[in-house]
Amino acid sequence: MTVGIIGILQFAIDGVTAQQSAVANNVANWQTPGYTGTEVSFESSLANALGVPGTQTAQVTSAPSLAAPATDGNNVRLSDEIVAAQKDTLQYQTITESLNAQFRLVQGATGGSYQ
Amino acid sequence: MSLFGPIDVSGTGVDAMQTWIDTSAGNIANANDAVPVGTPAYAAETPVFTPAGGSVPGQPGEGVATSVVLGSSAGVLAYDPSSPLANAQGEVVMPDVSMSNQLVGLIEAQMGYQADTTAIARAVAAYNSGLTIGS
Repeated sequence: MTVGIIGILQFAIDGVTAQQSAVANNVANWQTPGYTGTEVSFESSLANALGVPGTQTAQVTSAPSLAAPATDGNNVRLSDEIVAAQKDTLQYQTITESLNAQFRLVQGATGGSYQ
Repeated sequence: MSLFGPIDVSGTGVDAMQTWIDTSAGNIANANDAVPVGTPAYAAETPVFTPAGGSVPGQPGEGVATSVVLGSSAGVLAYDPSSPLANAQGEVVMPDVSMSNQLVGLIEAQMGYQADTTAIARAVAAYNSGLTIGS
């Protein structure tokens, strides 16, 4: 099955949202003894699925972080999480802008304005 | 995960850090509460953080759950003969509160609070751009 560009962007927005949830949870637990951080990835899965269309399904996967834990068993690094939060937001904004651009094209093609 | 779930998750983090700041403030305020020998001293409060919803590593969680445990009320003996509470040997019992621990905890709580509110601000910025889809 071929998925249009809007479907791909929609999937990417789901992935970024899942990443944002993981970051929020990691930051909330940055001082919880024994807590293992969560990492969510979807980019490589999406790239694989787009590489050979129709053969694979892209998936959002979450896995435990492999970073070395501190003495209290917690492996969350606050600085990394804040950077990830910032990146997720910019990615989200980029994707929504791409979606809007796509919708403007459709609008223009159907007789509306390109603005 | 509910709509705007990450904001709720960060909210549990803000709540946890606020509890930490509150317990530190209480402990510091009571650090000099002398009592007569043989009576229980002020017991320091310590926040305990656990993953909310019994999170499994690698799976999306629901934030952090916070509870407060009381430390020992045994206190430490101090020599202060000028105190009206002192016994014949001039001793009183002071709370077992480590000022350096409390102040380090306060800074950590502040860092965590700022990180949680940053995560909320980033999520809100993303949702705001999401609301422009199709406009």
